[in-house]
Amino acid sequence: MVKRMTFKQFVFILPLLLFICVFSFYPIVTSFMYSLFDYRNNDQSYNSFYISEQFNGSLFQEDCKYINYFLSSDITLVEEADQKEIAAIQEEINVMMEQYAYITDTVKISDSQIAELREFGSNIRERIMAIYNSDKYADVAFYNAEKMPVILDNLDSTIVSSNFIGLRNYIALVKDVRFWKDLGHTIVFTVISVSFEFVLGFCLALIMNQSIKGIGMIRTLGLIPWAIPTVVSAMMWKYMYDGDFGVIAFLFHKIGFINKQAAMLMTPDGAMASAIMADIWKTTPYMALLLVAGLQVIDTGLYEAASIDGSGKISSFFRITLPLMKPSIMVALLFRTLDSFRVFDLLTVLTGGGPGNGTETLSIYSNKLIFSQSNYGYGSAVVIGMFVCVAIIAFIYIKVLGADIISSKTS
Amino acid sequence: MRKRTAFDWACLGFIILFLCITVFPFVWIVITSFKTDADIHGAATYAIISSNATLENYISVIVEKGILTAIKNSFINAALTTVYVTITASMSAYMIARYKFKGRSILIIIILGVSMFPQMILIGPIFNMFYKLGWLNSYMITLPYGCITLPSAVWIMITHFKQVPASLEEAAKMDGCTPWQTLWQIVFPIAAPGIFASAILTFISAWNEYLLSLTLNSETAWMSVPVRIANLRDEYTIYWGQITAAAAIVTIPTLIIVLLFQKQIVSGIANGGVKE
Repeated sequence: MVKRMTFKQFVFILPLLLFICVFSFYPIVTSFMYSLFDYRNNDQSYNSFYISEQFNGSLFQEDCKYINYFLSSDITLVEEADQKEIAAIQEEINVMMEQYAYITDTVKISDSQIAELREFGSNIRERIMAIYNSDKYADVAFYNAEKMPVILDNLDSTIVSSNFIGLRNYIALVKDVRFWKDLGHTIVFTVISVSFEFVLGFCLALIMNQSIKGIGMIRTLGLIPWAIPTVVSAMMWKYMYDGDFGVIAFLFHKIGFINKQAAMLMTPDGAMASAIMADIWKTTPYMALLLVAGLQVIDTGLYEAASIDGSGKISSFFRITLPLMKPSIMVALLFRTLDSFRVFDLLTVLTGGGPGNGTETLSIYSNKLIFSQSNYGYGSAVVIGMFVCVAIIAFIYIKVLGADIISSKTS
Repeated sequence: MRKRTAFDWACLGFIILFLCITVFPFVWIVITSFKTDADIHGAATYAIISSNATLENYISVIVEKGILTAIKNSFINAALTTVYVTITASMSAYMIARYKFKGRSILIIIILGVSMFPQMILIGPIFNMFYKLGWLNSYMITLPYGCITLPSAVWIMITHFKQVPASLEEAAKMDGCTPWQTLWQIVFPIAAPGIFASAILTFISAWNEYLLSLTLNSETAWMSVPVRIANLRDEYTIYWGQITAAAAIVTIPTLIIVLLFQKQIVSGIANGGVKE
């Protein structure tokens, strides 16, 4: 029975909607906005969003004060004509400082003001440098010969140019070799681990579905790897893979899987294989539980009928179990694929993306860009790239492979 | 009783292998946690029983590294998240299961979509938001935890609310119950097993969360268990003795939850994915 909703009932879903808006929609839209800017948290000319040019008033005052101070300390070293010139420059600087003293923040100013400030900047730079670089003073050691060009450059940067760069982050993304390599690592990790988990999980599910003594214990034990924090299990595996004291690495070396014990985490292929094995260990039981639920819905009468008709265990598996399981298999695979595609915890702890970025996935790359390099703009473009991949994967599962996830909830 | 076939033996072998592989890491971690540093880095690395077993690792991880503080933080975060996520999710799941409204399927698709997109997309803006509001290193972190756990909680609960007979609610309405009373006094008790299942899963995923707590609560005093354990190292050494001891300690709460609520967890996982 389904009833129409009135406002009174709408209040019930309001908290959920609010949550989704504030903590899901807002960040997605904001991330997309970040990706359109050259936005970096560690550089003051890029740590905000400037669609148009801005003027940094406080920096301007500070720079002008320094230039005046430098000029005052060097004025005694030059000839009289140049002393007059310096005094004239200082006078001009004072006039400008007074004129713009009312601006104490980074704000938008008119185009004519920007033109005036630019003109002023290049004018005093030319005149000051003419004195400092003059042949007359080749033997004179100015106190501020080195500092002066730096402060003049800084004066230019008081006019903050727009850091809106449109789609340029995305163009860079398409050309970024590291992005494509990381996408490759992510796909390798996802495809291999999900296929193993599916095959092993399916076997486990078939066994769990039988009424065997002690099946409850098997289920409980299987839940523990899934339930403990991924980071903790990643640490445990990191220890066991260790090149010097790792018991798994030691065993694999003894058996002859690897040619030296350090190969597990110290080579890119070994590290990828290690990560995949740890993921299979953690997630296979979970996959099995997802699939058992589907198996339990199948009517056992079908198997009896099939065996009366003389069909063997193997043929009833392919003719009854698999077709009837298709919906649950698709849903389980979709969930696991998307989960695996955004893998972060396991790899960041186990390998940190190394060695030599050999196991770096898109999540790790974007996290490094955003938090280690403070490059929010480009990092967000990588994240949006990931978002597009996730949408494509979901589309393939739902439209091409026919995974039906919502019909049971909407009916 | 029928004779055991080769197939049965293969199944048995598979199960035994599965159990060994599942349990082995835990056994090894517990063994290592009782070894001294010298043993871990020396000849006794692969010894199963250490001749000079010690509690040193447990003591130092509890006393010096304050793993209990991290457990307390994680517990408070997970408990707060569970409480408000369960309330919010059950209210909306009830409405989605019972009422028809414009955009209902869109809402369901959005809920599902939110649970599937990469969490990395949230982290930059949420960090900036928390920075501006001064919410870094606080229990406010439970709010973004909600966006990770809410969708799956709603998802599981919709299935359970659909199983509550509608005639009961009709009767309640006749007797003059408001929708609020109907939900809390009639529907909620019947759907309780499902709600409980989703609450347990919410608790576990909040307890295990890493990315948000790594980014938002980075001060040692506010670190959650996963972050604290990943941090038990300095530039040159990883303190394996302490890490294994910490891993053994934090596995205990999980073990208790799994043992106590095995049925609910299994039903939660099953209802999250499979259509009936």
